[in-house]
Amino acid sequence: MSATEVLPTGTVRCEHCLQEVAANSALTAVIDGKQRSFCCHGCLGVYELVHSQSLDAFYSRRSDWKPGRPAFAKIDPADFADQVSSVRQTSRIDVVLSGIRCASCVWLVEKVIGRLDGVVSARVNYATRRAVIEWLPETVCLDNILQSLSGIGYTPRPGSQAASVEISAGEKRDLLLRFGTAGFFSMQLMLFTTALYAGFFQGMEARYRLAFQLISWALATPVLFYAGFPFMISALRALKGRALNMDVLVALGSLSAYGYSIAMIFTGGEVFFDSAAMIVTFILLGRFIEAGSRLKAGNALVALAELQPGEAMLMGDTGEAVLVPIERIRSGELIEVIPGDRVPLDGTVVEGSADVDESMLTGESAPVLKAPGSPVYAGTSSLTGHLKIKVSGDARSTMLSRIVRTVEEAQARKAPIQGIADRTAGLFVPATLLLAAATFAWWMVAKAAPVTAVMNAVSVLVIACPCALGLATPLAILVGTTAVGKKGILVKGGDIFESISKTTTVVLDKTGTLTRGKPSITDCIDCGVSDRFMQHCASLEAWSEHPVGKAVAASWKGVRLDVEAFRTIPGMGVSGLIGGEAWHAGTAALLEREGIPIDPESLRQAMQLENEGKTTVFVSCSGRVAGLIGLIDDLRDEALEMIASLRASGLRLMMMTGDNEGVARYVAAKCGITEVQAGLSPIGKADAVRKLKSDGETVMMAGDGINDAPALTEADTGLTLGTATGIALESAGVAILNDDLRLIGTLFGHSRKSFSIIRQNLAWAFGYNMVAIPLAVSGILHPIVSALLMASSSLVVVGNSLRLRKY
Amino acid sequence: MESTFYLIGIGFVFGIAAWFLFQWAVRSGQFDDPEAPKYRMLDDDDEKPPKP
Repeated sequence: MSATEVLPTGTVRCEHCLQEVAANSALTAVIDGKQRSFCCHGCLGVYELVHSQSLDAFYSRRSDWKPGRPAFAKIDPADFADQVSSVRQTSRIDVVLSGIRCASCVWLVEKVIGRLDGVVSARVNYATRRAVIEWLPETVCLDNILQSLSGIGYTPRPGSQAASVEISAGEKRDLLLRFGTAGFFSMQLMLFTTALYAGFFQGMEARYRLAFQLISWALATPVLFYAGFPFMISALRALKGRALNMDVLVALGSLSAYGYSIAMIFTGGEVFFDSAAMIVTFILLGRFIEAGSRLKAGNALVALAELQPGEAMLMGDTGEAVLVPIERIRSGELIEVIPGDRVPLDGTVVEGSADVDESMLTGESAPVLKAPGSPVYAGTSSLTGHLKIKVSGDARSTMLSRIVRTVEEAQARKAPIQGIADRTAGLFVPATLLLAAATFAWWMVAKAAPVTAVMNAVSVLVIACPCALGLATPLAILVGTTAVGKKGILVKGGDIFESISKTTTVVLDKTGTLTRGKPSITDCIDCGVSDRFMQHCASLEAWSEHPVGKAVAASWKGVRLDVEAFRTIPGMGVSGLIGGEAWHAGTAALLEREGIPIDPESLRQAMQLENEGKTTVFVSCSGRVAGLIGLIDDLRDEALEMIASLRASGLRLMMMTGDNEGVARYVAAKCGITEVQAGLSPIGKADAVRKLKSDGETVMMAGDGINDAPALTEADTGLTLGTATGIALESAGVAILNDDLRLIGTLFGHSRKSFSIIRQNLAWAFGYNMVAIPLAVSGILHPIVSALLMASSSLVVVGNSLRLRKY
Repeated sequence: MESTFYLIGIGFVFGIAAWFLFQWAVRSGQFDDPEAPKYRMLDDDDEKPPKP
């Protein structure tokens, strides 16, 4: 952040975490001859540490850091003891770090830890948020390393805790190794195969032919039996369990091509080891891409679960609070939450009141007032006051962990591509086997030589192999996603183009999707009690933490007046003295509480504002109403255009929001949406989407908050915008990165195009099988011709898919 | 034409060498993090911390 940045008066930005804090509550310290402000002792400590190590470059280089206070949690080295592995003199540990926000964090952690005496190496994986640290146990102990990590604001957790939702690094490495090997040998193999093809048509010296055939055999062997090992095992297991899956077809096709080719070397026929190797390579590529997206999904769940603090201040019998892990807290016990902290567990407020930011659960930006008796939820953060909470359930039963589980379940359920492929295999495999057997029988009956009968049967198996079929869909998807990616649309996973093209209903979230997600001032009714009305309001609200207050403060660009005796009345508004006069700004209830009469004219105007879907702020000066301010979370500029284009393509539009009915209706009417569901909880939205689906609709859900995450995963297609919270971004299939709603229309056009290309590809691949299989059955097709046909059909599929690039 | 066989042999040696290199690269974790290296290359070699 540059030094010239203008902040609301009375606030400063913490030098370390960039969080805005009220100037009077900020800590200041003179470092390097310059006065610097900090939000808390933790941040000050980190800044001093970073500065003392001459790592100040961290602050100048971080460009993608989002303001936010780091967590300073106590850690227990005992949790990590069983994670340490020893290699010769060094010890090694793999920990998950929370608090990694940007690439510079990786740099900072590596520098600070790497410089500790006795640390051999420290490597942080930015993609998985994992750190691998190696050290000499004689010089430095694990305790020190862990303390250093948490000392700079990154909390280490044992690697095993996150393991359940991630596939292990080892599994991914193994897959890469197999795919790399398969690709490498297949490429070499193609060189020799091309020579053999040429030889078939032009003639070739026999010894070269034999040599090239033997080389091809040598090259194909590792592809099938090392790279293809998982398929072979899985096929064997399936056959043992008397089931047929896609792996059976892959194994059968590649092995029969392989075995047939070996036989041909000795009988002097043509070989096609390349078909055997290609099948394995392409299928492995598909698996590799899939593993990558699974890893991403796992990380998203870890990020979501991280919102729940690991510790809570437990109130003992003596009235003193002690920090304990949340797992140890039982239902019915009392915990304390201080301002700025996240609530660790669900419960009910028993003492104190505070404005609580529930935006991560509800997506609505306005904080909610919590007073004794109100329920509070884990992961939400208290903005203004101390709360004493009676815990209502253990760590696993919180609303947050229920959302995590919902997302997890929905993701697990969502693997239709594989299911369809396996079901198809269930029909296709026996059909192919029957056909091959029938071919063999037919030729035997026709009194052909047994060798010919076997050859023809194997030809059928080889030709039926799903090579072009396997290539048809993923390739089109790869090209298609790259093309939309250039426009700023991130499409994750393959089945999305299909579900988008089949979409019948688009469900839109209100806050942050149709609207900007930030209130702005629309009306300012000045009753003429004070001149410079807005200046007074803005000066007063400059101290407010509430988004409405911030919006009012932001609307005045001029000089601010001094405010004395500023006070926040949670859930109602603010008050203070300006120039000796008492000013209040807030809800009607605030004025009522202060005994300030509201004249009928102002009430009428307020009613009118509310009817227009606006939030009204009453402002009073010295016991009289001074004016009204109306704010609205306005529609995005491009929302109407987007809705018109979606409607033009015949889609049913719906709006779902957690907001109240009145505001929802108003926004819906303004953008011409007739179907509205208001007041929905996160799970409620998901249920509503599920209901739409059970009514036979194919649903696209567009949303941006964590509250939308369950609905986004439940919908056939989940879509988020660039401003969305991380979890929404990860749980959706599509993300529009540059925040332009009009791209939804582009996406529909593109998906239809991609899907039709996929269908063309599939039609071509099937068509090839339809023509080639009968020819193979009849024994007309020479194997080398069928191998060439196979290659050219793949080329057609490639060329057709590349057309998507130009769209 | 005998040279064809020699050339194939030499090609194989290079190919197998590249394959072993790939194996080593995967096993030593070169492909584990596709995200950070693009930032890491911009890091300066740092100034040594002042001796306490």
